[in-house]
Amino acid sequence: MSAAARDNDSIATEAAQWLVSLRDDETQGNAAALARTRAAFIAWKAADPRHAEAAQRMEALLERVQGLRGQAGGNARPAQAALNAALSTGQSRRRRAARAGAVLALVLAMAVPAAVALRVWPPAYLMADLRTSAGEWQDHQLADGTRIALRGGSAVNLRYDAARRTLELVQGDILVDVAKDAARPFVVQTAHGLIRALGTRFMVERQPDATVLSMLESTTEVQPAAGGAPLRVHAGERLRFTAAQADAATPLDASTTEGAWRRHQLVVHDQPLPEVLDALARQRPGHLQYDRAALEGIRVSAVLPLDDTGRALQLLVDSFPQLRVRMLTRYFVMVDTAPQP
Amino acid sequence: MHSPIHVLYADHHGWLLGWLRRRLGCPHGAADVAHDTFVRILASRDALLGLREPRAYLTTTAQHLLIDRARRQALERAYLAELAALADSHPGLAPSPEETLAALQALEQISAALDGLPPRPARAFLLHFLDGEPQGAIAATLGVSTRMVRKYLVQALLHCHAATGGHA
Repeated sequence: MSAAARDNDSIATEAAQWLVSLRDDETQGNAAALARTRAAFIAWKAADPRHAEAAQRMEALLERVQGLRGQAGGNARPAQAALNAALSTGQSRRRRAARAGAVLALVLAMAVPAAVALRVWPPAYLMADLRTSAGEWQDHQLADGTRIALRGGSAVNLRYDAARRTLELVQGDILVDVAKDAARPFVVQTAHGLIRALGTRFMVERQPDATVLSMLESTTEVQPAAGGAPLRVHAGERLRFTAAQADAATPLDASTTEGAWRRHQLVVHDQPLPEVLDALARQRPGHLQYDRAALEGIRVSAVLPLDDTGRALQLLVDSFPQLRVRMLTRYFVMVDTAPQP
Repeated sequence: MHSPIHVLYADHHGWLLGWLRRRLGCPHGAADVAHDTFVRILASRDALLGLREPRAYLTTTAQHLLIDRARRQALERAYLAELAALADSHPGLAPSPEETLAALQALEQISAALDGLPPRPARAFLLHFLDGEPQGAIAATLGVSTRMVRKYLVQALLHCHAATGGHA
């Protein structure tokens, strides 16, 4: 390293130390100390043009950092949530794997308001073995021949051992085609319970408070997390279960349901609107905002295109004139009911 | 015209588009990234000289763009979601689309400057300069000495200085 480069390094370090001292006085609200430090910093910058130059870029960046609060009414939360999200996704896969633990600690400890931030990038999603981003579809064949298809916004973890093949559905929708292995049952696990299969084909959707199983072929056994006798679910049945209990199975047209998956369509029969919006939100880059309680009473039967969520929303508005869709940017859409005249 | 970039484009554009489509599962996104990949390569012409593995080079460039894109999307989503939550509880708060865009651009610049910084210095930096937490409080949160917090903060500033074009 040349002497000039070494000088530049130590000048930059000094500039950084000055800025840290200034900010420390500021955050402690010590006006007298701040005035003294500021005067000394100005003298230091005046002493050598290289000093001022080194400080200038750092000061400009810090000004931008502090300016971020202004737009959100003086609140730093949106900026902080955004930077955390960017810092935890901006790394290459290799680095991300090595640093996942550290990033998790960072995300959790920043105490970003949990409800919103965790909904956008839950740590469990970021660290899942397989995951899809909004609107992305993936197919995987596992070593045992089992095939898994993931719809957008989905994440799964896989744990195979000698006794059992476990797939944990962290979020989203999957279609599983289980390869037969009599010695090792295949189990799909969610917070709401277990679905046990030998060799069969089915779809699983993870909703916020329930798991929905759609059987396409053969039979599985469902065990809600709270316990009780396992329930057998057969081809052509749909079963919704929470951790506490399972609803009654409803009939399902297996070939239409699977065909809709292949054509990237969402088929809903008499379901509450928030569940439909959940499914669309997972397909859509950006944020879809809606009040569950206000929309819970609207029941929907429809076939909606999942690859064009803008059109899907328009179709919903066409069928439910009381709905209102407002777009702030392409990445931020609000759905609510229009105020009564 | 048979400049190297034309040859590269003619030979590999379709292949790159297919590769991106499989990665993204979205034809429009794939076309955008393929386009940006060639624009970026065009901007650094000398990289084309003696290119032995054009496809590896293309995928590496496209890979970087995909990561940038994922980071940008995560940043936008988190910012807008949080802003929406704030707007719900503070009805007077209604930033214009222009203000929102300006804030997103500032956030992108800052996140690019912080990229690659280890988590603890990054966290100390945001707590101190964005949230205005005193160094003593950050030391307690991170479970380290105030001296160490100072070290993290200086490290973070030097990292940003280097990332924005300095010699630190």
